[in-house]
Amino acid sequence: MTAPATTDTPPVEPPVTPAGDRRPAGRYGVLALAAAVVVGLLLGYAGGLLTPTLTRPGDSSPEAGFARDMSTHHAQAVEMGLIAFDRGTDPEVRQIGGDIATGQQGEIGTMQTWLRSWGLDPTGSEPRMAWMPDGARVENGLMPGMATPEEMAKLRVAQGRELDVLFLQMMIKHHLGGIHMIQGILDAGSDDDVRKVAQIMKNTQQTDLTNLQNALKRLGG
Amino acid sequence: MSISTPGGPQRRPTVVSTGKKPAAGRPAAGASKPGAAKSTGTPRQTSGGKGPRKPITPVKVSQGRSWGPIALFVAVGVLAVSIIGYGAYAAFQGSKSWEQRAADIDGIVDFREKDPKLVQGGQHQQGAIKYDVLPPVAGPHNPAWQNCMGDVYDAPIANEHAVHSLEHGTVWITYRPDLPADQVSKLRSKVQGVEKAMLSPFEGLDKPISLQAWGYQLKVDNADDSRIDEFIKTLRVNASVEGPNANCGQGITATGTAPRDNLPQQQQQPTQ
Repeated sequence: MTAPATTDTPPVEPPVTPAGDRRPAGRYGVLALAAAVVVGLLLGYAGGLLTPTLTRPGDSSPEAGFARDMSTHHAQAVEMGLIAFDRGTDPEVRQIGGDIATGQQGEIGTMQTWLRSWGLDPTGSEPRMAWMPDGARVENGLMPGMATPEEMAKLRVAQGRELDVLFLQMMIKHHLGGIHMIQGILDAGSDDDVRKVAQIMKNTQQTDLTNLQNALKRLGG
Repeated sequence: MSISTPGGPQRRPTVVSTGKKPAAGRPAAGASKPGAAKSTGTPRQTSGGKGPRKPITPVKVSQGRSWGPIALFVAVGVLAVSIIGYGAYAAFQGSKSWEQRAADIDGIVDFREKDPKLVQGGQHQQGAIKYDVLPPVAGPHNPAWQNCMGDVYDAPIANEHAVHSLEHGTVWITYRPDLPADQVSKLRSKVQGVEKAMLSPFEGLDKPISLQAWGYQLKVDNADDSRIDEFIKTLRVNASVEGPNANCGQGITATGTAPRDNLPQQQQQPTQ
C-alpha cells in the first residue's frame, strides 16, 4: 500500500525552501508537541477515572450475585438466630443464636456496602443463584439451606427444648447451604476483598457447624 | 512486504525528515529489511522511470510530510474524545441515583415530592391510625412492624404495621381480593424468599394491584406489567429510611387489619 507513495520519493534531503519554510514548521512542531502532551494527559486522566468503573464488579457479576443472594440467605439466619436468642431455653443455644444474628447482620452490612460502592442496587435483574458456577437450584424463591415459610412458622410457635432442637437442626441445614454458596464465590469470584471476606464467612460457618452439631448431640436431637 | 522494501535504506532520510514524529512506522519497515532492499535494486529509478522528475518530487514530499502527523493527531484526538466522551456518558448513567430512576418509572406517584411532611415522619403510635393515602405509603405507625421476610399473607394485614415495614425498606405488594389466582401466584413468586418484600390482599383498591415503598406508590392492572420488577429493583431497600440493616424479622406474622398493641411479646404468636 505504501509502495506507490514511497517509490517516487527521492533519497536526497528535500530541497525545501530554506529558512522561510523551516520556522513555521518548527513552530507547528512545538504546538503539536503541546497538543500531544495535553491529549496524552487527558487520556491518562480519563483512563484513571474510568478504570475503577470498568474494573469494579458489574450488575451480573458473581460478586454482585453473591452479595445480593448471601444478604438474603443471611437475613433468614438473623431471623432464626434472634428467635433462639429471644426464646431459647438452653444457654448455649441462646448464645449461639445471638452470635449468629449479630455476626451475620454485620456481614449483611459489608455486602450491602459493596453493592453501594459498586453503584448497584440491592436487588438484581437476574434470577437468584444465576451467578453460581454450578447453577444451584432455587425452590419457591428459597436458596439452598433456607427454611420454608412453614418451617419458620413452626419455629416461631415452638417452646422449650423443642425450640432449641428445632433451631439447631434448621441452622445446621442453613449453614450447609450457606457454605455451598460461599464456595461458589470462592470458585467464581475474582475480587480480592470479596474473596477474603467470603473465606472468613466460610471459616466462621464451619466452626459454627461443629458447635451446632455438638450442641444437638448434647440435647439428644 | 517486498513492496515496501524498494525504498530501503536510501529512503530513510526522507522519512526522518518528515518531522518531529518519527513514529510513522515506515522507517522500521524499511530498516528491518536492508538486505532485501539491496537485492531489489535501485528503487526510485525502477519506478520513477525518468530522471527529470526528481526535482519535482521534493515538493510533493514536503506536502506528504505533514499528512502523517495530522493523521496521527486526528486519530489520537478522535480516540481521546471518544474515550472521554464514553467516560462522561458512563459516569452520567452510573451516577443516576435510584431517586432519578424511580422518577422515570411511568405512573409512579412520588409522595416524597408531593407530601414531604408525610414522608419525613416515622413516629410510633399505638392504636388505629387514619391514613389519607390507601394503601398507605408513609407516616406514623405502630411500634411493631409486619414481618417482611418475603412473607406472603393470604388475608389483609394492619396498615399500622405495614407502614413500619415500609420504613425498613420493604416493598409491599397489595392486590384486590378478586385478582385471579394465577395472577396472585405470579406476585407470590416475586416476593417469596425475598427479605424486604411482602404480599397481601387489600380491600377497596381502585386498581387490581398496588405497590408501595416508603413514599412511593405504583398501581398497575396486571401481574405481568414489567414496571412491577422495575419498582422492586429500584426501591427495595433503597427506599429504606433506616438503611439496609433495618430488620424485617421479629415482626408481626399474624393477619387482620387491627393493629396489635399492648400485648406482651410472648403472646404475639402467629395466628396464620
